[in-house]
Amino acid sequence: MDRETRRKLDEFRRNEAGPIESTLFDELAEGDLSRKEFLRRASIFGLSTSAIAAGLGAFGHAPLAFGATEHAQAGGRLRVAIIPPPTKGLDPHTYADQGGLETGGIAGEFLTRATQSLTLAPELATSWKPNADASVWTFKLRSGVKFQTGKTMTADDVVATYNRLLGPDSGALSAFKGVLSVGGVKKIDDLTVQFSLDTPTASFPYLTSSTTYQAIILPADYKLGSFEKTPQTTGAFKLVSYTPGVSAKYDRNPDWWGGKAPLDGVDVTYYTDDAAVTAALLGGQIDLIGQVQFATARPLFSNSNVQIFAVRGATHRQVPMRVDLHNQLSDYRVRQAIALTLDRPAIVKTLFNGRADIGNDSPFAPVYPSTAPVPQRHKDLRKARQLMAAADQGKGFAITLTTEQTGEIPQLAQIIQRSVKAIGINMTLEILTATAYFAGSQSGGPGGLGTTPWLNTPINITDWGHRAVPNVLLNSALVSGGVWNAAHYANKRYDRLVKSYTGAISHKDQQKYAKQIETILLHDTPVIFPYFYNYLAAGSKKVKGYKADALGQVYLSKTSLG
Amino acid sequence: MARFLLKRFGLALITLVLLSMIVFAAAQLLPGDVGRNILGGFADQRSVDLLNHQLGVDRPVYVQYGDWISHLVRGDLGMSLEYKVSVSSLLGPSLLHSLKLAALAFVLVVPLSILGGVTAALRQGRITDRTITVRGLSLTAVPEFVTAIVLIVIFGVALGLLPTTAQAPPGASFLTQIKFLLLPSLALVAVLFGYIARIARAGVIEALDADYTRTAYLKGLDTKTVIRRHVLRNALLPTIAVVATQTGYLIGGLVVIEKLFNYPGIGQRIYVAAQNKDFTMLESGVLVIGMVYLLATLVADTLYSLLNPRIRYGGVD
Repeated sequence: MDRETRRKLDEFRRNEAGPIESTLFDELAEGDLSRKEFLRRASIFGLSTSAIAAGLGAFGHAPLAFGATEHAQAGGRLRVAIIPPPTKGLDPHTYADQGGLETGGIAGEFLTRATQSLTLAPELATSWKPNADASVWTFKLRSGVKFQTGKTMTADDVVATYNRLLGPDSGALSAFKGVLSVGGVKKIDDLTVQFSLDTPTASFPYLTSSTTYQAIILPADYKLGSFEKTPQTTGAFKLVSYTPGVSAKYDRNPDWWGGKAPLDGVDVTYYTDDAAVTAALLGGQIDLIGQVQFATARPLFSNSNVQIFAVRGATHRQVPMRVDLHNQLSDYRVRQAIALTLDRPAIVKTLFNGRADIGNDSPFAPVYPSTAPVPQRHKDLRKARQLMAAADQGKGFAITLTTEQTGEIPQLAQIIQRSVKAIGINMTLEILTATAYFAGSQSGGPGGLGTTPWLNTPINITDWGHRAVPNVLLNSALVSGGVWNAAHYANKRYDRLVKSYTGAISHKDQQKYAKQIETILLHDTPVIFPYFYNYLAAGSKKVKGYKADALGQVYLSKTSLG
Repeated sequence: MARFLLKRFGLALITLVLLSMIVFAAAQLLPGDVGRNILGGFADQRSVDLLNHQLGVDRPVYVQYGDWISHLVRGDLGMSLEYKVSVSSLLGPSLLHSLKLAALAFVLVVPLSILGGVTAALRQGRITDRTITVRGLSLTAVPEFVTAIVLIVIFGVALGLLPTTAQAPPGASFLTQIKFLLLPSLALVAVLFGYIARIARAGVIEALDADYTRTAYLKGLDTKTVIRRHVLRNALLPTIAVVATQTGYLIGGLVVIEKLFNYPGIGQRIYVAAQNKDFTMLESGVLVIGMVYLLATLVADTLYSLLNPRIRYGGVD
């Protein structure tokens, strides 16, 4: 370490670093963190570039490299297909569907943006800093940002946006539940906002990023229902016309704080049919499809004129098995046996052509850095039969699996049906439309989760979106009394561990708790997580500078047509 | 004639009222509720209940129906529950799109299939006849999505001659619009040709066999005049009725074709509204299509009566 680097680092630790930043440097020094992981965590905790550079230099890692800006050809309008169309009005805080988040996200911006490698990049916030236990977070806002209405963005706008996100009609309540409540967001000065959390949360900055797709910053005087009528976001493009279910048109925002985006504008066409959107890209009517699936758009994957944009993510399916019904599934050995019949590598090959990570029956996807190594569950019919016999179910039984007509899920259901036959389980499939599957109440009733099929059937399959950190999955889907706990799983030790995990600041502690959580879930197997698949987008070879986002944000400020 | 039309009109009105009731009642049977659909499967139950209340869909069915129809008679189609904009602002352009596609398909298929049918009948039993009937029938038997995909793959993707989507860019010229609508129109021609041609053929064969045709020949008329004045006039009566019923299908029933060619017609609008329980949109859309059907039938009846004096003078009704 040269003297200058040491001086910078010491100065940072003395003057700016709180306990969390110091822990981070200690972990880097002790070799607990790789360079990549250090960078990711430094971005969460809002370390400045100079502090990161000093840290890397001090401990003998390669310095930060800034990629040269790719030379982008200016001009042209990009023709984007979004499938399916938004299912309702475009008020950002209410988004709950893919079409809505893609449509709003082309024009909107967030405090921070999650990148492909799960780091956080500054967007409308330039820096952020936690207090000692990560229960209070202070965000500095970018100065000189103008809304497309002409008004300058201040802390008031951010506070108003977050209060809307915490209101009753918000689509982001599940993300903020137990983390941030009404009254927790405060203006310090015109360019500083403070978040006081309900409980210490080391990963809080992720909730302000593009992964909370409802959190598009809007003016304080935003009127409900006006998103599609007046351009009023801060992004590189402004939404100038919108016809529900048909099309949307965006023009370049000349006053964007980030400079001039290469594209003149973006024309979105909404599609409802996979074959139609596939043909449109192959026929040259569109340049980019916001989201494609291998199962429904195979011709794109073998065409040399098409480029596939892929990013690893945590989008997945859960197969919850109710632990509280007085049937065979209430025995953990039966649930383990079912999980042991699945040949996961083969499933991933069939359904995704290999573009997916194999799941290990916990929300800890391989993509999460905090995921701790525990033995992977493999197909093992001998062990499965032993478990069935031990549970007095050697002869097998009959059961109905309920699920929805979404993506590859019906195929997965058939695979599970075939697989469990080997241990004598006679499975009947009940495949509903997504509407019917999510119909009915979700609270009250004997089980506490209402009547809806997805939370109350003995065994089912549900589609889950990507999350930048596994917290919501760990909480809502598996904690006792969790609102999406379809397995009706209850384990006090697990609940305690999740609390510890959420508050843990050091990487080492997070992995320690993660390992215990993974081990408990493998034993109890309330939910099978067969795979976590890559997010895929497809475009013509003309599209340059586009990166897929694990959640499906269509971010076009650096995209150009070559 | 006026009495005949008035009676038809009255019946049409009653049909529409009954239709609106049936659709409203049937939509109640669909699973799920509007709030849940809008907010998504993962939304909090309280938010869902709140939204349902705001939208007024937690009221009894007859109150909702009364509310909707009382606005309708004042010419107000209401707000779409799903998109929170007026239903007419969405249905209007969709209907226009559907009319354009239907018109092109109609212009292509009607002359083509009548010509085919008449030609087949006049060459009855010969190779031309067999080619037309068998080809036509096999095309009709192939589901429209298969025909559509074959057309897309050949003309849109492989040859790159025609656009695979049917919607022309905004402000496109008349000819460009026709170019965009050509593939879906051809798919519809394939579906309808065999059917209409077959009816036309049967009508012509029957008329050729009829006593009045023999009489016409016997009184010394040449074949051309017999065909034009006696055969076609009688033979095309059933064809007109068939074409009229197909017009309703062409405008409101093209969900699959509209989906495959990503065409924002009224069929797709209604389909999506039904999926999402957007009652106001669904009801108004179905009524509009109902009106189109009735109008088409009315036009057909009028044409029929003009061609057939027996109906015009009140003998048969």
